Amino acid sequence: MTTASLRGGPEPTARAAVVSGAAPATRRVWWRTHTAQRHIFGYTLLAPAALYVILLVGAPFLFSLWLAVSDANVGDPVAHFVGLDNFRAAWEMDTFWIALRNSIVFLVVAAIFKSLLGTSLAFLLLQSFRGKKLIRGLVVIPFTLPIAISVLSWKWMYDSQFSVINWVLSRLGLIGTYGSESWPVWLGQPHLALAACIAVNVWRTFPFSAIVLLAGFTAVPLEVLDAAKVDGCSFFQRFRHIVTPMIFPILMIGFLFDTVFTLSDLSVVYLLTQGGPGNATKILPVLAYQIGIQAGNLGRGAAIAMMLVPLLFPAMFLVLRNLKRREW
Amino acid sequence: MTDVTTLNRRKFLSVAAGAGVAGGSLLTMLEARQAPAQIRGTTLRILQWSHFIPAYDAWFDNTYTKEWGDKNGVKVRVDHIPHLELPARMAAEYAAGAGHDIIMNGSSILTRLYYKSLADVSDIYGQGGKKHGGWIPSAGPLVEVEGKQYGIPMFYILLPMLYRKDLFDANGLKPPDTWELARVAARTLKPKGHPTGIQFSQCADANLNWRSLLFSFGGAEADPSGENILIDSKEMREALRFAKALFDEGMTPEVFSWDDASDNRFLASGVGCWIHDAISAYRTTEDTNPDVFKNTSIALEPAGPGGKRVSVSAANVYMIWKFSKNQPAAKEFLTHFMDSGKEGMVQSRGYNMPYLLADAQKPMPIIGADPKMQILQDFPKIVAFYGYPGPFTTPIQEVVNLFVLPDMFTRVARGQAVDDVVKWGAGEYRRIFSKHKRA
Repeated sequence: MTTASLRGGPEPTARAAVVSGAAPATRRVWWRTHTAQRHIFGYTLLAPAALYVILLVGAPFLFSLWLAVSDANVGDPVAHFVGLDNFRAAWEMDTFWIALRNSIVFLVVAAIFKSLLGTSLAFLLLQSFRGKKLIRGLVVIPFTLPIAISVLSWKWMYDSQFSVINWVLSRLGLIGTYGSESWPVWLGQPHLALAACIAVNVWRTFPFSAIVLLAGFTAVPLEVLDAAKVDGCSFFQRFRHIVTPMIFPILMIGFLFDTVFTLSDLSVVYLLTQGGPGNATKILPVLAYQIGIQAGNLGRGAAIAMMLVPLLFPAMFLVLRNLKRREW
Repeated sequence: MTDVTTLNRRKFLSVAAGAGVAGGSLLTMLEARQAPAQIRGTTLRILQWSHFIPAYDAWFDNTYTKEWGDKNGVKVRVDHIPHLELPARMAAEYAAGAGHDIIMNGSSILTRLYYKSLADVSDIYGQGGKKHGGWIPSAGPLVEVEGKQYGIPMFYILLPMLYRKDLFDANGLKPPDTWELARVAARTLKPKGHPTGIQFSQCADANLNWRSLLFSFGGAEADPSGENILIDSKEMREALRFAKALFDEGMTPEVFSWDDASDNRFLASGVGCWIHDAISAYRTTEDTNPDVFKNTSIALEPAGPGGKRVSVSAANVYMIWKFSKNQPAAKEFLTHFMDSGKEGMVQSRGYNMPYLLADAQKPMPIIGADPKMQILQDFPKIVAFYGYPGPFTTPIQEVVNLFVLPDMFTRVARGQAVDDVVKWGAGEYRRIFSKHKRA
């Protein structure tokens, strides 16, 4: 018996074994370390968002991708892989190219007007005046109204016979009377119809742009703007060189949301014209809905809807790359 | 064995009376349609459109289904959605494999698209036909696939000519019995502030109206098999030229923006000299402008140059999902509902037209009693649906949903050359048909 054993401790060799055996025990409880716990906590907090993205964005996207390369049909439980046939069928369609062109025109024109109107409104709302809170509440009404109700109201305002817009213009002497050549048929003339649809989209969503910009403007420190004023900067110089760079990340996120909302907006066109007259207002989401759901060709409808991805991808890429650069 | 020799008069009478009572009871039972006990305590869910005559929905939801449900111990739930949303809802229910037991199709009849997922209702279709004197000929192609019926046609909606008799009389015009007479009337009355109008736009009425004109001109989209395209024809060109002349002489550009209700308002406003629309326009005018209503008459579908009349109508069909867990109750309900065609006509104020020949006998309820509407009783002989003279196939369905035919008429009205338009339209038809053949 050794001294160590007499003292009640293990033999030195045994103690070495115990010590060496303790290493695996330490590895087993790695999650108790501070770093591990931080990671676990972080990932646990992220998990709902990740699950949300995987289940509600990733899975439907992959499913759409599968539909686009299959002959899926609403009434047939079995679908077969058909490669790029659905995309080829879309490209062969006269209507597809019209819808693509209209979608791009819709997006660009709406974006220009929303930027102009949104910025102007945001600046107006920055000013101090009586009833400012009430006005701020009122301007978001178009954005918050159920789309079906607001678009149906517009449909009445654009009515070929009872249009309140036309009657006002007529009373002001700017156009002729009902039935005359100069009486505009808002939803019946190709260019006017597309413009009318864009106008409703702009009316609905420019308050959103304004609110996003307003949030950015209020975050700009007044001292910086005052200093620029003292240095002799004009309003536009201040806007270009101080405000815009400072709110750039917010602008980019707003731009991204707006692009996605506008390109995927089915309701305005569908409720106003269903894509008519003669496809003059047909946009890709409406065409995809008509072919995929109403005509039952899920595969071809999905292929047309997937064409929105290449349109959205450059915008997303540019925005996210810009934001990432600014982070560094 | 009964000894015939011992059958005296008293016995004979008592046996005969007994047989009569038993037979009468059986007939009464059959008449009363005792529902199978297995459906008692179940729930039946029905999805259908919001009817253009709200009183019909009130009757259907609160009286008809309630009484049937109480009698058979079935809880009936009826949901209504706008008719244009029915295809999307049908697709959603199919994908989920759950939803309503009975689903209605309005105008766009999707039998051929979904038949693999629909219950075979050939038995009750056959019984209904036998009981009510058969079906009108155009009913079968709506629901028949590979010799079986997958739906019950319940009623259709006519689009007759509604014209201002006072204006016609004042200008010495004949009633619009032919398309040519309708054109002459429009040409005469437009300069006097009373143009006409048919939708040159992408809406359901445009699909129906221009097909009525084309088919009455002797044209067709496909042959009776539904397989071969017939759109590139002399008749198609004639119909397009006629439509262009009708537009130039008798309409204003507002027709390019019209939806299904615009022509209703056009007539009710007192401006329109005639429209080709469902009688909801007539009813709307009755409610909103009694003076115009008083002077509005209804005419038969105008005849084409060869005297042919084809009235393309909006079909309505009820179907039962194969996944429905309550198919017995659904079939029982539809069997009973087929017996209520006449009541449906009353409740819809003459809007619902019957597919069953016994219900189509003169005088029909409501329309048979109204001197102005009596003419509608002659429509069952000339009524047709999408795909005429063939079935409503899936390629035709895509053609309808993409508004190819109204777009052809629109292009011509806007000034494109007829031959170019026919070339474009035939190309669209070929592309759609060939896609479906490939699939």
